[in-house]
Amino acid sequence: MPLLMPVVLACLLFAVGIFGVLARRNAILVLMSVELMLNAVNLNLVAFDVYLRDQLLAGQTFTLFVITIAAAEVGLGLAIVLLVYRNRETAQLDDLHQLREDDPGPPDVRDDTRETAAR
Amino acid sequence: MPTILAAETTQAADATGVFALSWLLIALPLLGAAVLLLGGRRTDKFGHLLGTAMPFAAFVIGVVQFVAMLGRDPENRTFSQHLYTWLPVGSFQVDAGLLVDQLSMCFVLLITGVGTLIHIYSIGYMEHDPDRRRFFGYLNLFIAAMLLLVLADSYLLLYVGWEGVGLASYLLIGFWSYVPEYAAAAKKAFVANRVGDFGLSIAIMIMFAQFGSVSFDGVFAGADGASEGALTAIGLMLLLAACGKSAQFPLQSWLGDAMAGPTPVSALIHAATMVTAGVYLIVRSAPVFNGAPDAQLVVVIVGAITLIFGAIVGTAKDDIKKALAASTMSQIGYMMLAAGLGPIGYAFAIFHLLTHGFFKAGMFLGAGSVMHGMNNQVEMRRFGGISSVMKITWITFGLGWLAIIGVPPFSGFWSKDKIIEAAFVGEGWRPWVFGGAALIGAGVTAFYMTRLFLMTFHGERRWTDDVHPHESPKIMTIPLMVLAIGSAALGLILGPTNALVHWLEPVTGAHGEEAPVLSVPVLTGLTLLLIAVGVAWAYSLYVRQPVPEVAPAGSVLTRAARRDLYQDAVNESLLMRPGQYLTRFLVWFDNRVVDGAVNGLAALLGGTSGRFRRLQTGFVRSYALSMFLGAALLVGAMLLVRL
Amino acid sequence: MSALSVSATFAAAEFQTPSIEYSKLMPMLIVFGVALVGVLIEAFMGRTGRHQVQLILSIAGLVAAFVSVTMLAGDNQIAAVGAVAVDGPALFLQGTILLLAIPGVLTMAERSLDRGGVFTSAGSSTPGSEHERVLTATGVTQTEVFPLTMFAVGGMLLFPAANDLLTMFVALEVLSLPLYLLCGLARRRRLLSQEASLKYFLLGAFSSAFFLYGIALLYGYSGTVRLSGIAEAVSSNSGSDTLLMTGTALLAVGLLFKVGAAPFHSWTPDVYQGAPTPITGFMAACTKVAAFGALLRVLYVGLGGLAWQWEPVMWGVAILTMVVGSVVALTQTDVKRMLAYSSIAHAGFILTGLVATDTVDPDTGAVLGVSSVLFYLLAYGFITIGAFAVVTLVRDAGGEATHLSQWAGLARRSPLVAAVFTLFLAAFAGIPLTSGFTGKFAVFSAAIAGDAAPLVVIGVVMSAVAAFFYFRVVVLMFFNAPAPDGPAVAVPSPLTTVAITLSVAVTVLLGVWPTQVLDLADRASQFVR
Repeated sequence: MPLLMPVVLACLLFAVGIFGVLARRNAILVLMSVELMLNAVNLNLVAFDVYLRDQLLAGQTFTLFVITIAAAEVGLGLAIVLLVYRNRETAQLDDLHQLREDDPGPPDVRDDTRETAAR
Repeated sequence: MPTILAAETTQAADATGVFALSWLLIALPLLGAAVLLLGGRRTDKFGHLLGTAMPFAAFVIGVVQFVAMLGRDPENRTFSQHLYTWLPVGSFQVDAGLLVDQLSMCFVLLITGVGTLIHIYSIGYMEHDPDRRRFFGYLNLFIAAMLLLVLADSYLLLYVGWEGVGLASYLLIGFWSYVPEYAAAAKKAFVANRVGDFGLSIAIMIMFAQFGSVSFDGVFAGADGASEGALTAIGLMLLLAACGKSAQFPLQSWLGDAMAGPTPVSALIHAATMVTAGVYLIVRSAPVFNGAPDAQLVVVIVGAITLIFGAIVGTAKDDIKKALAASTMSQIGYMMLAAGLGPIGYAFAIFHLLTHGFFKAGMFLGAGSVMHGMNNQVEMRRFGGISSVMKITWITFGLGWLAIIGVPPFSGFWSKDKIIEAAFVGEGWRPWVFGGAALIGAGVTAFYMTRLFLMTFHGERRWTDDVHPHESPKIMTIPLMVLAIGSAALGLILGPTNALVHWLEPVTGAHGEEAPVLSVPVLTGLTLLLIAVGVAWAYSLYVRQPVPEVAPAGSVLTRAARRDLYQDAVNESLLMRPGQYLTRFLVWFDNRVVDGAVNGLAALLGGTSGRFRRLQTGFVRSYALSMFLGAALLVGAMLLVRL
Repeated sequence: MSALSVSATFAAAEFQTPSIEYSKLMPMLIVFGVALVGVLIEAFMGRTGRHQVQLILSIAGLVAAFVSVTMLAGDNQIAAVGAVAVDGPALFLQGTILLLAIPGVLTMAERSLDRGGVFTSAGSSTPGSEHERVLTATGVTQTEVFPLTMFAVGGMLLFPAANDLLTMFVALEVLSLPLYLLCGLARRRRLLSQEASLKYFLLGAFSSAFFLYGIALLYGYSGTVRLSGIAEAVSSNSGSDTLLMTGTALLAVGLLFKVGAAPFHSWTPDVYQGAPTPITGFMAACTKVAAFGALLRVLYVGLGGLAWQWEPVMWGVAILTMVVGSVVALTQTDVKRMLAYSSIAHAGFILTGLVATDTVDPDTGAVLGVSSVLFYLLAYGFITIGAFAVVTLVRDAGGEATHLSQWAGLARRSPLVAAVFTLFLAAFAGIPLTSGFTGKFAVFSAAIAGDAAPLVVIGVVMSAVAAFFYFRVVVLMFFNAPAPDGPAVAVPSPLTTVAITLSVAVTVLLGVWPTQVLDLADRASQFVR
């Protein structure tokens, strides 16, 4: 099997993922784009594995690990996005820029001791 | 660096016997400082006693070592004690060790001896201060750091002590930091000292780059064959360091403000010991300076300028401590001048340093005693006629005064006269300029010290109504007496016999007898004449002219004050104006040129910083973009380097 | 690697039990074991006393793991069928991470500064909600931070020891995922904390995708993910150079992201500022140690034959990192952000030591690039943990007072705290007689020995620039008048006190008496290959 096609495909998928991360404003979509990047790598790994006729099947094994870890990552990522959404009622990344170079303004008063409605 | 050690001609013996205790000299005061500063209020009760015992114990060790040293041949009086290896990085290693020789022994005795007296004095002086224990803790810290400075066997360890005394000095100047001006003074001293420290660190770096070593042995062995350019660079950087620490031109301004600290601090740190560290540095680095005549010339010039500058400032100060500070500056100028003259002057620099340590510490403590009796006033215009109520202070201060202006047979005569003689040795314009400066300085010194002495102790009583001067307690006057005896006799012991010169010869190197351009009796006669003129002038201005009786109304007081002002105006127009113009020029130079360069650099960095900061927008997607571009850059770079 | 050998048997159709040297993996097993027990405690134990039990268990686990590291000292072999290297650098860094984690955990457990502790009562509750009010009133706090921290520590232990890229990737994720969560659990300023968490997570996932892609390309180049196999392929020069170079670069992106080197540093200031301060300290110290360990192993063991190619690139990264860190820190107004930029600058300084590559000291036989970096990481880690612990002490009504203007005149309020912080700043600046100086000295002299003198010149200049902003804080604390409504210095419980004291002791000790540790780093500088 020619190696070039799956490798180029993986590269394109990876690029699409990068584009998604850079262009999407919704945290969930960015998360999906990252997953796309990981899957592009999976494709790459499997393609190399087959091409190299790896006795140890390292590429395929690696893919299984990546799938598992990606699942854990998504679970965790969704939890964080959900938490942010519950507190701010938005998952738009561009709304999250309180932490930046200029003074972040007065300290956020919404700590546990005060009653404040979420935004 | 065993190879370099082997190449040395004068080898240091390993410290054995009583010399093996050298580390205790530093450890004892350090222990005192640790107990007092970490022990907190629990040590309040005995803090001052412990704090005094530590330098005294060090003094006893010093004396025992001194006696042991006297019992040995002059060439076998150098001992080294290896403490531990600090940085063994590959073939290069930095050792921490102590060097006890004739030169450091002089300093050990001065620091611990005068230090102990000042500690004793402080027990009385600081009695009512709630933070007396902390004060003693800082003093002990200072003693430890100063001993480390003079006992170090490498420039690096010396640097540690150098920073240590700077820290202690800063803490003590700002001891009463609840007064904002005092905190500002501490800050000023801090900054001026940083400039000097920068010089020292650069010097150490050059030494390391040139000789691969920072120990005295290694550097001096390397200095033999080094290029004059390198030695000059090192010498100038060392001089910068010395100028910062010893308040020499052009870094002198902090010393006057440093008088904000308690008076014993002024006596110990800003008169007797720390400010003379610069002189020590230059004398210790004799092999470097001997190979760099240009650097030596600059040292002499700096010394000459400072001695005149300090003397002129001294004539115009009405604050007794600031006048004494100006005098310190000027006297250290003498030492620097002597140190810059080379082997002929090193021993005299140290000689003057020792006598100065005694008489100046004595006078500062005397001033403290006066202030103690006068509700902490420092304005000499409100003193006058104190001699009758504070007899001991008056007599001891008087001995110090006779010593500093150089009246035979008191200490200052022997040491200062030698420096003047040495300054007149040489060819061409130099002996005339530098000798002349030293000579004129002696006259001005006589004038302003007499002015200070007379304004304080003699003439009309110009006291404010609420003061009732009284003699200080015994615990303060006894140190005064001891120091006064030293001021009177030290020169007589060391001077005519040339004992100190011979003692220091193995360290500073011998020099042949060279005749000054004017014969010695003529020079001595000239000096004494100028001194007499200075004294007489001051007498005529401050005692002979009648000050009217204190009248019931305030108007007479006002008139007296006006007359004082008038005298000041004369002083100023004759002496201060040129100094002021010079100062103004220097301030201008400092503000425009030096600050300009610094500010320009700061602005450049700040601008760059701001530009970088703008990239940090807080938007996660722009961060991702920068990472992506970085990754692309990295991939591109990797692919490029392959080509 | 058990999975690899299992798949090997699949192909070879004959079953062979992989041999795993459990004793060699003891430090990691202990830490992971404690983490799992911690999860069980969290699930089954009653609320009262859970905090104490978790704390004691974590500290005991860390100490036990450290003891087992010391018992392994001197080992030099590859364990677990080639997946884990038990050699000098790995053990030194594991010991460092464990030692750093102890004060890290102690500061996390501090509860007397803020009622209920630094962390939120429950990660899922909304700030200001009724649920949260009840939790705060009853003083109930979940203690999942301890097992999370232990998982992260376990990952960090594995990261510098990983001998193949699969293990390294797993370790990277195991150390990162708990940290993403920990960043978002602050009790005060929760929104900032969660923002930091999300940013860290997204960028971290983004960077691990690059890391993974790099692995895939290297695998394609060499046909193996084992570092020694890659080194072999590099030396025999078989395969496509494009794959190798691109793979190396992308792999480096992932690792440089974790160490916080420019231009992959942009997450650092935001995350350091937003995360709960004890987590920031832990992260800044331990993650950096682990990530530099992995970077060292990849570059030296796997890609050592490629040094000619990656060295110039690393030069560029080191210079950029030092410049960005030092220069941007100049204009910072927040203590935590300033320390973040300082940590970026320090990453740059460490990189200068790293490019000394395989320069061997003729006297001691030490690999200078490795030994100097090992020492620097130990020194830097303790300074960082200590400095962030001090930051937790300066508080006003709204929690920690991190704006620099609030630190003015701190020395009047608490001379001791100001003096301790000054010590840490002096160590950061590299003043002699502090560990920072010894570390800088080590990396710079290694770089000089490795013919990277220009890099050292830039490093020294940037140290001077950095010293400026450190001393600006010192001046601020000692010479400026305190604001009337400025923050106070809280008195911590023995937990934080012990952590700070430990950091001070190490900082001074490594400055005054570094010989033993320098020797140890020298002896530990040989990678097993």
